[in-house]
Amino acid sequence: MTAKFNFLITIVFSGLFLWSCSSDDSDIKDETKPEITINYNEGFPQSCTELVRGETYHFRAMVTDDMELASYSLDIHNNFDHHTHDDQGAQCELDPIKQAVNPMIYMENFSIENGLTSYEIDITVTIPNDVDAGDYHCAYSVTDKTGWQSRTSIDIKIIE
Amino acid sequence: MYRFCHDPFLGDNCSNLIVFIMFHKTLSFWLCFSLYSIAFSQNSFLIKGSVINANTLQPIEGANIISKGLFAISSVTGEFTIKNVTEGTYTFTISHIGYNPKTLMIEVDPKMENLHISLSESTTTLKEIEVHGKTKKREAKELPITTVQVSKEFMDANRENSLMQTLKKIPGVSTINIGSGQSKPVIRGLGFNRVSVVQNGVKHEAQQWGNDHGLEIDQYGIENIHIIKGPASLLYGSDAIAGVVDIQSPKTPSVNSFNGEVNVLAESNNDLLGVSTGIESRKEKWFYRGRLTYRDYGDYKVPTDKIRYESYIFDLHRNHLRNTAGNEANAAFSIGYVGESFKSETFFSNVYAKNGFFANAHGLEVRTSTIDYDSGNRDIDLPFHKVNHFKIVNNTSFYKGEHTIQLDLGYQNNHREEHSEPVPHGYMPKPDNSKERVFDKNTFSLNAKDAFKFNEKHNLVFGINTEFQNNNIGGWGFLIPKYNRFTVGFFAYDHIEASEKVHLQGGLRYDFGVINTKAYYDWYPSTVNNSDGSTSNVYLQRAQNKTLNFNNISGSLGVSYIGDKTTYKLNIGKSFRMPLANELASDGVNYHMYRYERGNLNLNPEESYQLDIDVGYSTKNFSFGISPFVNFFENFIYLNPTPNYYETLQIYEYTQSKVFRVGGELRFGYALTENLRIDASAEYVYSRQRNGPKKNFTLPFSPPLSGLVSANYQLKKDLLWFKNIRLMADYRLTAKQEEIVPPEEKTESFQVLNLSFLSNLNLFNSEKQTDLRFKLNNVFDTKYFNHTSFYRLIDVPEAGRNISLSLTIPF
Repeated sequence: MTAKFNFLITIVFSGLFLWSCSSDDSDIKDETKPEITINYNEGFPQSCTELVRGETYHFRAMVTDDMELASYSLDIHNNFDHHTHDDQGAQCELDPIKQAVNPMIYMENFSIENGLTSYEIDITVTIPNDVDAGDYHCAYSVTDKTGWQSRTSIDIKIIE
Repeated sequence: MYRFCHDPFLGDNCSNLIVFIMFHKTLSFWLCFSLYSIAFSQNSFLIKGSVINANTLQPIEGANIISKGLFAISSVTGEFTIKNVTEGTYTFTISHIGYNPKTLMIEVDPKMENLHISLSESTTTLKEIEVHGKTKKREAKELPITTVQVSKEFMDANRENSLMQTLKKIPGVSTINIGSGQSKPVIRGLGFNRVSVVQNGVKHEAQQWGNDHGLEIDQYGIENIHIIKGPASLLYGSDAIAGVVDIQSPKTPSVNSFNGEVNVLAESNNDLLGVSTGIESRKEKWFYRGRLTYRDYGDYKVPTDKIRYESYIFDLHRNHLRNTAGNEANAAFSIGYVGESFKSETFFSNVYAKNGFFANAHGLEVRTSTIDYDSGNRDIDLPFHKVNHFKIVNNTSFYKGEHTIQLDLGYQNNHREEHSEPVPHGYMPKPDNSKERVFDKNTFSLNAKDAFKFNEKHNLVFGINTEFQNNNIGGWGFLIPKYNRFTVGFFAYDHIEASEKVHLQGGLRYDFGVINTKAYYDWYPSTVNNSDGSTSNVYLQRAQNKTLNFNNISGSLGVSYIGDKTTYKLNIGKSFRMPLANELASDGVNYHMYRYERGNLNLNPEESYQLDIDVGYSTKNFSFGISPFVNFFENFIYLNPTPNYYETLQIYEYTQSKVFRVGGELRFGYALTENLRIDASAEYVYSRQRNGPKKNFTLPFSPPLSGLVSANYQLKKDLLWFKNIRLMADYRLTAKQEEIVPPEEKTESFQVLNLSFLSNLNLFNSEKQTDLRFKLNNVFDTKYFNHTSFYRLIDVPEAGRNISLSLTIPF
């Protein structure tokens, strides 16, 4: 019985060994997220920036990826209820909590042409004249071809 | 003739023992025990004794009495003799199927006395024993599929905060934890709807697909769990792909009995206080049981005062993971009848739990709030969820000739509400209440099977499983649609006893299912760009009215060989899973996960083929086992993160891909001395997607290579009031997990040490001793991350050091 047992164990282990060797660990897999930053001279908006209603701005951020970039998006939404804060480390002075009447909602998606590993986002946004002034968030996100995503969020203000 | 008892605490049962003798010695922890002396000659002695049932005081036939080189089996009257024993001290193990084994030290010398041994019944005596006369252990050996039997003793000795956390010590079983009080089962790396949980013969149906809630089952009062690792659709239908956690009906109480227990638990890490009390009683034919459980716990503590998630930093107040407190209240009652040729029991149970979620991030979304979370550690503020699971199950068996007919009927209602602070998202204005998601699901089940032993060799089983689900939704968030689902499955299999050692089992199953999803429209308008450049405000449709049919053939074939010391098993099986309503028809934004989830109406039932091998070798002091598997999915349903956006949220799409998996478990046990036992186990799963958008990636929530080394030391001597003292040390070693798929993070390796002290106490009643357990989890307060924890994604480490004290007082 012991001989049979040893035999079986040997078979099982060599089987497992072969399985693990035959699998293609060597295939290159993308395990790196893209990166996104506004921390350069032209990066916009910086934390606590005040945007004036009726004005037009260039929203700019640098995105990079080790393999290939895919898409990005820009989302501007109100923070009248102070539901969250940005990830830039800055503490902006927030207005008192208030109810939204006609808040600005900006949500747009864009794709990046194939094959790029570095790209500068440049979106032209005009702040409508009729939107509520107050605290807002500006959130950028970017994906790479694999489906990894990075986000960054900035506290801003819209003023009259 | 003396009447005499060795233990001053023992009561009437003890005084019944008539003793001839001069002296005695305390040899047993459990029961009355005394000695007679019949010396034969100077050097050769005769050991005489008898074995009785501790409860009924009836003799036990066929008990094994074993010591080094000595062996006897008790007769019909429970008596045994061992001849020609030389003088000395012997350690005897007295064991019998269905009883807790007992180890005694016996001095064989001229003053030798007769032995009276009473064994207490273990919970492994189940109804099946009455029918087949086989133990669960033997049955498990004969079954070609890889199974693990979990006894009440194991549960008691290893109890953790939730049922699945208690079971994760079993190699191949792990959990997805959501905070301290909830967890979901994972078998060999697969969880959610790829593991079936069955209780009292009826599949537990809740919102298993969800990320953030656990299993709504009271872990107290469970006597026996049968865990199947491997494909089990043949017997359990859809979802039993990775395995089954089958919580079996408790055994019928003995005639004219009344038993009860109170369990009290206190824990330091989350300031938990829990109490559970259960009773069971039987007259002649009628029996009943009841149980009440209440647990209340505060926020749990982690070994860090700062959580760094991406570029956010959350400061923790006194290491408390803000707002993770919770409570749980469960009630269960059952009534049953045992007739000449039938047995029936109806179970009523209700499980209620309310748990807070970590307040600084809801899903992946970082939140700030005006709620003063740090004012107390026991309050449950937003976000939280509450869930109520009500169940009625009837199990009825008829025994007629060679037929055993089993009927299981069930109704269950699962009601879950998720509340969070209302916040505007995208085009959704700020809702006016906190009720984000409500799920209300009714499930009706009817299972019938006939086990027909048409000759000595064949045990043919055929049956039908039917189930109707009705799922309703509410709240301002949308994830899955309202739906109705009906499934029916027919199966037949034969268990062939080719010889005493060789058993074969094979069968086929056909399932048919129809799912009817209901349309859902947003309650707020969204701005949509039209092709002519204009925009319009539309109440977007998120789910459609659709009726979809599915069918599937599954089956399995296996063989087991039971040698003297070695057991071999080989099984090949095909199992399946019907697509879920959310996988088919969802079309909604999950803001907290920053994703837009898109269903796919073209999904096919998931089909999985698996080959399992299990080899177990055991001698008296040594045991070894290996259970490798190879698994192939034709079309694994996977929520794939795409590179595209919808309303600035990343689109995740349900897709199907071929998946290859291989892995298994190793287990090893060695009794170094009579008192010290070392056990070690390891588990590993390797997964690869073989095609599709994530080709060469692993699957989400892949558990890393992990091992557990346990030492179990049984003290020979009692210490003060502590009897039958056991010390246990569990050392868990887990490798780093580098196999990830978006949006996961790699997780570092860790080692954690847990220590336990277990003992019996003569607290109120010497006949029924109190079990005491003192446990120290995460002894060194190690900061580590569990790759399969819900909070892993936001970089929350596992719980810190925890001291728990548990008392189980029988009455």
